[in-house]
Amino acid sequence: METMLKSLRRADEALSAAFDRAFAPTHNPWRHLGSLAFVCLLTAVVSGIVAYALYDTSVAGAYASGLRLQNDALLLGRLLRGVHRYGADAFMLLTLAHLLREAVRGHFRGVRWYSWLTGIPLLWLLWLAGITGLWLLWDERAIFSVTAMAEWLQALPLGADLLARNFLTPAALNDRFFSLIIFVHIGLPLLLLAATWVHVQRVALPRIWPPRALTIETLAMLALLALVWPATSLGPADTGHVVAQLSLDWFYLWPHPLVNALSAQVVWWLAAALTLALAALPLWRGPTQARRAAARVDLANCNGCARCVADCPFGAVVMMPRTDQRRHPAQAWVNADLCAACGICVGSCPSATPFRQIEDMVSGIEMPDAPMAALRRELREQLASLSGASKLVLFSCRQAADFAKLAKPETAVIALECAAMLPPSFIEYALRLGADGVAITGCREGDCEFRLGDRWLQQRLAGQREPRLRASVDQQPIEVQWCGSDMLGAEAALAQLRSRLRPRPTSSHPAPLKESEHD
Amino acid sequence: MVKPLPMALRYALQALAYLGFAVVIGYFSTGPAYRQLGDNEAVLKLSFSHSGQLKFACHERAAAELAKLQPNMRNKMDCPRERALVRVELDMDGLPLYRVSTAPLGLQKDGAATVYRRLSIPAGAHHFSARLADGPDGAINYAKEIRVDLRPGQVIIVDFLTGSGGFVFTRG
Repeated sequence: METMLKSLRRADEALSAAFDRAFAPTHNPWRHLGSLAFVCLLTAVVSGIVAYALYDTSVAGAYASGLRLQNDALLLGRLLRGVHRYGADAFMLLTLAHLLREAVRGHFRGVRWYSWLTGIPLLWLLWLAGITGLWLLWDERAIFSVTAMAEWLQALPLGADLLARNFLTPAALNDRFFSLIIFVHIGLPLLLLAATWVHVQRVALPRIWPPRALTIETLAMLALLALVWPATSLGPADTGHVVAQLSLDWFYLWPHPLVNALSAQVVWWLAAALTLALAALPLWRGPTQARRAAARVDLANCNGCARCVADCPFGAVVMMPRTDQRRHPAQAWVNADLCAACGICVGSCPSATPFRQIEDMVSGIEMPDAPMAALRRELREQLASLSGASKLVLFSCRQAADFAKLAKPETAVIALECAAMLPPSFIEYALRLGADGVAITGCREGDCEFRLGDRWLQQRLAGQREPRLRASVDQQPIEVQWCGSDMLGAEAALAQLRSRLRPRPTSSHPAPLKESEHD
Repeated sequence: MVKPLPMALRYALQALAYLGFAVVIGYFSTGPAYRQLGDNEAVLKLSFSHSGQLKFACHERAAAELAKLQPNMRNKMDCPRERALVRVELDMDGLPLYRVSTAPLGLQKDGAATVYRRLSIPAGAHHFSARLADGPDGAINYAKEIRVDLRPGQVIIVDFLTGSGGFVFTRG
């Protein structure tokens, strides 16, 4: 299973890389599936509000309402219907793709269990919201679906044994049905919006909105599709006649053929099993997923600057009133249940600087499994053992790949839990300690396993975010490559870095700064 | 490192990606067509809700029986609420089409028995014979026969209404 997941993850990365070539990495739609789904939901909601104003909630008027829109001479009705329908279809498609992608990337485990679990009811809600919308058109497809749904519900031991009788004859149905369905069809998307809010509660800075260009392009695509390939009603619903062959909206109506092919009970069991299996996925940790220890605050070194709070991708670090006697008003506190142990907070800590003279340096916030003192020690040792004309240090993100194979006599490779765990001062430290160049590799841009690592690191190196790489540091010998697991990409980055390095005599390397100098 | 693609090619690929997305949405929102019925088939829907007869008759409790009951429960008449199974037999052209025995709903089995069944049948002229037994002895006490000609896709509904004398066949 773990091997299959790895293969799927590689396939996902390859697909991401392919999209990166066509779109810019920041505008890659494959990385914005969730937010694009949200845009489609909003599109369906907004167009639905307009459609509701034009809809007649009666047996006689429901079908005519749909026809009026699709036959509108100005094409506005066609546009409205199409955008509403295709927006809902795209919402389903994108949501499923989002779910699949997150599953493939193992994002049901660890601290992400909450987002995963709260996403499951969204599937049922969006399916019900969509299917009830198709009933409102009251055409041949609607009566097929509503009857099939009633028959499916009848299979449950809920006492709803004769639900389908409501659709046996025209006399059995009254206007109240449409009032009820429109109430459900409006209520469920509102519930969806609320549930989406719950879904993103445990992530900091959730990507609710895709980049503006992607939003505009997606909306334009839906509008064009609505005009070119209009969403139309079939013939009017007829309780006395069953159409032999029916055009279905497969995004929402696929359970009906499944019920006909298997049985109502079997499909209920399948639906329940699938829902439970999805819900149980967070329990599966996998053989390589031993939980890393959560970040730990060291009060003696924490000045309450709150940078770790600002950078934590999962909102696991919060500020609280000081519990020791130091003069700083606040201190960081880590909620271990929310901590992904990515180390991004360590990379943001101003005290995590290797220039400090204390041998057993401790930063204000530390990863117990990978303390900063050990990182500094490893850097020193590896640098000391390097030989050759251009000595390089590669800080590689362990989530992206294991690049230990790239270690050579002139190249040191140091693995980090996340590239953003590296405080920028370590780069300067490596250069001052004798490295001719520093390369950093990580997950593909926008695909950080810990959501925000690539963004924060780039901003820190560009001097846009604390802790900044000092402006006096020459950027030329620094190469950042978001190449994911692409070993060739990492090798190319090292080769490129090596090719642009100016040869420097060893004696020209200045000694490490003292703590007082750096601060 | 991968060489970036020319802008024109990138725009073309983006357009292709959106086109592919649009085609997937457009196509699967209406297709492929689903065949729910054969070209020469009609549909029969058997659906009703009917309370069977009481399974046991009332009987007068003897003094000894009454004495065993709590004072507030000492009703002279004992009338069990449980109803009999409802058995339905539906034949088409002399051959059995559907048979079902349905238990009454409710914890005390005192509710109505409900039946809903959708069946695909060949279109054309048919002779239907429906029988229902709702007594404790299981004997048929309602029956009806009818000859109908059904067009392809046409729905015939077989209902049971005690007030209308038993089975009611309705053509859509």
